[in-house]
Amino acid sequence: MAEAETGAAASKRPLSPHLFVYKPMLTMAMSMAHRISGAALYLGAGLLALYFLGLALGPGAFSLFGWIGSGLVGRLFLFLFVWALFNHLLGGVRHALWDRGLYMDAQGREWLTQGTLAGGVALTLLVFALAHFAG
Amino acid sequence: MSSQTRFISGRTGRGAAFSSDASGAAHDKFMRRSAMLLAPLGLVAGWYVARLAGMSFEAARAELAHPLPALALIAFAVVAMPHARNGAESIITDYVHDPELKARALAANKWASLAVALLWTVSIVLVAAPR
Repeated sequence: MAEAETGAAASKRPLSPHLFVYKPMLTMAMSMAHRISGAALYLGAGLLALYFLGLALGPGAFSLFGWIGSGLVGRLFLFLFVWALFNHLLGGVRHALWDRGLYMDAQGREWLTQGTLAGGVALTLLVFALAHFAG
Repeated sequence: MSSQTRFISGRTGRGAAFSSDASGAAHDKFMRRSAMLLAPLGLVAGWYVARLAGMSFEAARAELAHPLPALALIAFAVVAMPHARNGAESIITDYVHDPELKARALAANKWASLAVALLWTVSIVLVAAPR
């Protein structure tokens, strides 16, 4: 790594502002959300794997990991996991459309990102409503 | 992977979807193709994960004992964990610059994704396998 970046004088030098100067745009925020939801899904999958392990090993092991699925914390975790999943999924669809040059004009971009955000929330609520009331 | 677009790539000409054909091409292809598989798998997996919310031990086991949820969840993990590994690699290479730390993070990422996939699959097989 360059001495300029890690040397003793580096921390004293000013940096160009970035997050403070850019006007937050939905396209930018949804791109960040795509990455953050992906990372969250990775960690959430790890927790779910432990939950399934608890189911497989029996009631003793399940008492260790069962909180992942039940109680307020567990239900909130599953809700957020499913929301992250659908948000990331629709973000992937958005990227697939953009890869093909579709909806890249100013209006199309906004429509697509708004659709991703709204669609992710709507799908999550729909799935939980159906699972809870129809299951 | 190619599909008709309005873009004309300087390198490959008309017809290529606007994605990398340079050193990132293999990563690019894998992520797009796994994403295409994960779109339906993710919807189905999301449904079954939502159903598990609030279930007791016996109810959750009974839910997963059927072939459709079991196979759908296993298929989801088998495709999603390599996809997650690649995604995490992008994050690590973007933010971690110290060479030794980066190498360790990439190795940890590889083994973590493998461990999650194995644990997920083996656990569901143990719950769902007919006796």
